[in-house]
Amino acid sequence: MSSLVLKGVGKRFGGLQAVAPFDMEIARGKITGLIGPNGAGKTTVVNLITGVYKLSEGRILFGDVDLTEAPRHEVARAGLARTYQTIRLLPDATVVANVMIGMYRHQRTSLLAQLFGLPSSRAETARFRDEVFRLLDRFGMTRYADYPAGALSYGDQRRVEMMRALALKPEVLLLDEPVAGINDVEAAKLGKIFRSLATDGDGMAVLLIEHNMRFVTNLCDYVYVLDGGQLISQGSAEQVVSDPVVIKAYLGEHEDA
Amino acid sequence: MGFIAPHLPLLDLIFIGTGYALSQAIVFRAGTFSVATSGFAALGAYCVAILVVKQGVHPAVAVGLGTLLGLFSGLLLSMPLARLRGVYQAIASLAFVEILVALILYFEVLTGGPLGFHNIPRLVNTWTLFFAMTATMLLLIVLGQGGIGRAFDAMRQDPTVAASLGVNPTRYHVLSFSLSGAIAGLFGGLDALRNFSLTAEQFGFSILIATLSAVVLGGRRYVFGPLIGTAILVLLPEIFRPLAQYRQAVYGLLLVVVMAYLPFGVYDTIVMKLHNRRLARAGMLPAKAGS
Repeated sequence: MSSLVLKGVGKRFGGLQAVAPFDMEIARGKITGLIGPNGAGKTTVVNLITGVYKLSEGRILFGDVDLTEAPRHEVARAGLARTYQTIRLLPDATVVANVMIGMYRHQRTSLLAQLFGLPSSRAETARFRDEVFRLLDRFGMTRYADYPAGALSYGDQRRVEMMRALALKPEVLLLDEPVAGINDVEAAKLGKIFRSLATDGDGMAVLLIEHNMRFVTNLCDYVYVLDGGQLISQGSAEQVVSDPVVIKAYLGEHEDA
Repeated sequence: MGFIAPHLPLLDLIFIGTGYALSQAIVFRAGTFSVATSGFAALGAYCVAILVVKQGVHPAVAVGLGTLLGLFSGLLLSMPLARLRGVYQAIASLAFVEILVALILYFEVLTGGPLGFHNIPRLVNTWTLFFAMTATMLLLIVLGQGGIGRAFDAMRQDPTVAASLGVNPTRYHVLSFSLSGAIAGLFGGLDALRNFSLTAEQFGFSILIATLSAVVLGGRRYVFGPLIGTAILVLLPEIFRPLAQYRQAVYGLLLVVVMAYLPFGVYDTIVMKLHNRRLARAGMLPAKAGS
């Protein structure tokens, strides 16, 4: 069981230090939180992990695998899946088709078998379809199977994105503000799903990026706090929310006047 | 057959044109903006003509080699083009076509140069063309339903997301170009064995425009789109004889109208309408998008 480990990872854009070098561990079977005010560099961290940005310094290790220089598609094949802060679905494709692409990591038939539609390739497609429908069922989305994804409501589009990430059967799941714009009841439901992803079976390593403090404190086993590209605090959710540095970053300095 | 016989040349044009349009459609489906199809077609056509006329190679073997030449030139061209995106890809592939046309004009000994390549035996009939088109369509339908189709669709709609799901963009780039090259090489070779003669200009802008028009008009997403588009473009001037002399102008006008009112092409629009109607009948009419 390997966790994702970031060692001294930092990012500069030209002269701008977007994220100062920091260490982080996204542990298997746990939900790790990454919080911070707007512009703190949270999404940059996800982009560094998934190979969208090249690291300026530091290393990223996933068990024995060094992901420091890996291009995006190899990061995904190693077992890291992500969702996006702004939803990125294939809007014209159906919900099933969107989630099916997530199965790509498990494709085993050769290119030639796929080219000529050999039975092995068709059996694989059928198997993927079954698995996609099991996911749809889990998220209560079966009735939208043949819907174009772009026509769904915002919350349902978020669900589709999450199902797509889960279709990879990832070992590490990076969720970039997954409950933004979703009401508390629905968010709580999703929170339950995240919890079971981390604890059920082999257990995923889940990284949850969030604004919503209450959601984070209820859910996360360990929390990192970023502000202005600096890691300013880390620890259990209770420790972090009572840390004066964090309170200052979120609420500003107390002024006597 | 009495009615069909005089129209066979039109069917030939539709089948070959559809072949070219399928070669164009496959790169579009993978999200690549290349217009190299007419270049691959020129390679296939001249390869077959030279092999059959000058070397006495069996025509079936020659067409096979022409297809392979198309495939490998697609493979080679994909490597520099994979580094480019969008309009830059289009310009680079256009340059490839122009360079090929210039080379054909220059190597007179092999190609006949500006005078053209003549006295090619006519060895291909309508049935052969029909068979080639049907086989190509079947291949594209089959590969479109499996993993390759899913990877192409993902790359076209959002390359970033496709990569983050494990799709290796270079691999599918190369694949789409190779397929496009092989298909265009095949139909170029068949075209050579039907047409008695070849000229370099034939493979320049005119095929390029006709092919692009067919794909845009018919639709890009499904394999039948290019067939419908080509059929419309070939038959329209015949039905409206007086329009024949304004062919290029009619193409242009038609394209503008289609892009403005049917941006997905005739066939794709029909399929989408039917799909939506089916959803509506099942009581799942989409709540307006953006809600």
